[in-house]
Amino acid sequence: MPGAQARGINRTTLTAVVLFAVVVAMGGLAFASVPLYRLFCQVTGFAGTPKTGAYVGTASAGAGAAGEVTVRFDANVNSQLPWQFQPVERQVVVRPGEEVLIHYRAHNLADHPITGTATFNVTPFKAAQYFNKIECFCFTEQTLKPGEDVSMPVVFYVDPQLFEDPNTAEVRNITLSYTFFPVETQAQQPSAGEKAL
Amino acid sequence: MAHGAAAGHGAHAHGEHDHHPTGWKRWVYSTNHKDIGTMYIVLSMIAALLGGLMSWYIRLELAEPGIQFIEDTQFYNVLVTAHGFLMVFFVVMPAMIGGFGNWFVPLMVGAPDMAFPRMNNISFWLTAAGLVLLVMSAFVGGGPGTGWTVYPPLSSIAYHPDAAVDFGILALHVAGAGSILGAINFIVTILNMRSPGMTMHRMPLFAWSILITAFLLLLALPVLAGALTMLLTDRNFGTHFYDPAGGGDPLLWQHLFWFFGHPEVYIIILPAFGIVSQLVSTFSRKPVFGYLGMAYAMSAIGVVGFIVWAHHMYTTGLGVNARAYFTTATLIIAVPTGIKIFSWLATMWGGSIDFKAPMLYAIGFIFLFVVGGVTGVALANAGIDFALHDTYYVVAHFHYVMAIAAIFAMFGGYYYWVGKMTGRQYNEGLAKAQFWLFFIGVNLLFFPQHFLGLAGMPRRIPDYPDVYAGWNMVSSFGALLTMLGTFMFYFIVFHTMRSGKPAEANPWGEGATTLEWTVPSPAPFHTHEVQPVISAGDHGNGGHGHGAHPRPAE
Repeated sequence: MPGAQARGINRTTLTAVVLFAVVVAMGGLAFASVPLYRLFCQVTGFAGTPKTGAYVGTASAGAGAAGEVTVRFDANVNSQLPWQFQPVERQVVVRPGEEVLIHYRAHNLADHPITGTATFNVTPFKAAQYFNKIECFCFTEQTLKPGEDVSMPVVFYVDPQLFEDPNTAEVRNITLSYTFFPVETQAQQPSAGEKAL
Repeated sequence: MAHGAAAGHGAHAHGEHDHHPTGWKRWVYSTNHKDIGTMYIVLSMIAALLGGLMSWYIRLELAEPGIQFIEDTQFYNVLVTAHGFLMVFFVVMPAMIGGFGNWFVPLMVGAPDMAFPRMNNISFWLTAAGLVLLVMSAFVGGGPGTGWTVYPPLSSIAYHPDAAVDFGILALHVAGAGSILGAINFIVTILNMRSPGMTMHRMPLFAWSILITAFLLLLALPVLAGALTMLLTDRNFGTHFYDPAGGGDPLLWQHLFWFFGHPEVYIIILPAFGIVSQLVSTFSRKPVFGYLGMAYAMSAIGVVGFIVWAHHMYTTGLGVNARAYFTTATLIIAVPTGIKIFSWLATMWGGSIDFKAPMLYAIGFIFLFVVGGVTGVALANAGIDFALHDTYYVVAHFHYVMAIAAIFAMFGGYYYWVGKMTGRQYNEGLAKAQFWLFFIGVNLLFFPQHFLGLAGMPRRIPDYPDVYAGWNMVSSFGALLTMLGTFMFYFIVFHTMRSGKPAEANPWGEGATTLEWTVPSPAPFHTHEVQPVISAGDHGNGGHGHGAHPRPAE
């Protein structure tokens, strides 16, 4: 046996080391999938992730011909958060490319300041890639003093591409939905941009 | 082989044939692939009894509408969960990969043992520890009632506040680590320790199936481990991987789980393919038809198995393009699978078939696998799946295609190899009776569930409206026959050990051409100490192509 071993051990060990590296890499990939998936959703608007950023096209070109879209607003509050939260307007009719300003209202019913943060999405999912938010309260955490009543603005536009894409051409209703959750560590300062999905 | 260097403490007595440690040390400290394989099979038989009793209790409750036996619905959920975990991780995987794989891969490729015998020991005991943890989880608080898929938010701290789910997570972590180490051991052994002349393309298909399975384990289990770790920290350390309140997403779990979970079903069924290939060839007295096609069809199934996971998630709101892709990719798997089915049939075609019990089980496997495969093709279509998702049609599908099919391959493998493992041959009449009892039982058990599913009966619920009563009673009666068939198998195991006739080195005749039949029965403690040299044999038919030429110098 020993004669054949010198070569065998090295090759055996090498194979084992490579295989262990594969295990570590796949385990790492599971965790890396979190930021990768987020990046993927932001870039593609996958799973109803609305796009963010200013409109770069021309608002008027072809917009009139393309028709109009009704954007509905939905508001939800997690049961742990003693807030009242609702849109000021239930829905607006917008022309593609037009920048629209709408408001939500939030009211802290508790007797102490509370910080909340909102998650959001757009249905139908396939329209999300053409729904762009320029400014939104959901980009940052919001702190409300006891009994405070604030107005929360959202600026968005619907990309005219919505009407060109055969997959979304028939969409005439888009729902923008928010859910407010309490931020668990109250001590933590609201860090701007951290939750900018 | 490689472990020779570790034998410095002098306890090993190499060269003395069949000298081995005795008593409990032989087993607990074992570094012998045959002893470890035996322990895996025993572990599997214990877990199978637990998992089986749970499923029979479930069927007892489901025999009639209304709640008769299981009044605590969380306990029902725990039974369903534990049944799934036990059968997948502690019955099929230990028996096929740890048990038959350990026993026969080194024997078939002409290696004296596994590449890392001490790691082999750790693999087994980690699996055993996992089983203990899983059983313990059922006794913590209300037990884990999450289903084997452990979807959050049901598995989150809000809905399972006690430590039961944490025990379950730990059980899977530990058993998963054992499986990963075992997989590395198999790959290193098969790639580096084959006998001279035993090229990859002459390797028996069972060894091929274990090699591919080991690669799937290597790629899939770390992802499960990562996903479980995130669940553990979500539950206990305030992270929000799966919690939307903190910017997480419960769908992330489903993606990660099924990225593991879909290859997992191939991890279960590929070794069964390997066993059935050996059985069909042996009892048809012919080399496997299209040997290379069989080997590469298994490889193709392994590769494609990693890119179809979201067909378990059609109803989660995937876009139409994603559904179209996953439908297409899933349907493509039917191609290599078809190659395997037709190659088995072609192997039998014109063969001198001997309908011994292992062959009955091999043919039974092919039948069950085709039935489950056809319903799989139906379910692969996203449009159909929207209607059938989470109904008993799915339950019938996966029990046919992987659960019962895998059990058939295991029973077949047991009857095929028991003479080699124990030196005693089973009783043919008893085994055939057991086959027919079990075959009729499982078909009566699972076929009516197609009808129930098409009629809309949902999974995982202990009660149902009266309209579903008839077929549920038939199904439960089938479960009774299956239970009798299972107990009969345990009796045959006992009967074989106690009063089985001594087995010859090769009880199957000219059809059995793989290397394990060249060593005496029972296989000595050390085999292939001088590696057999394999010649081209009756050329051109690979798997069994090395013929009966090699005579290892025992």
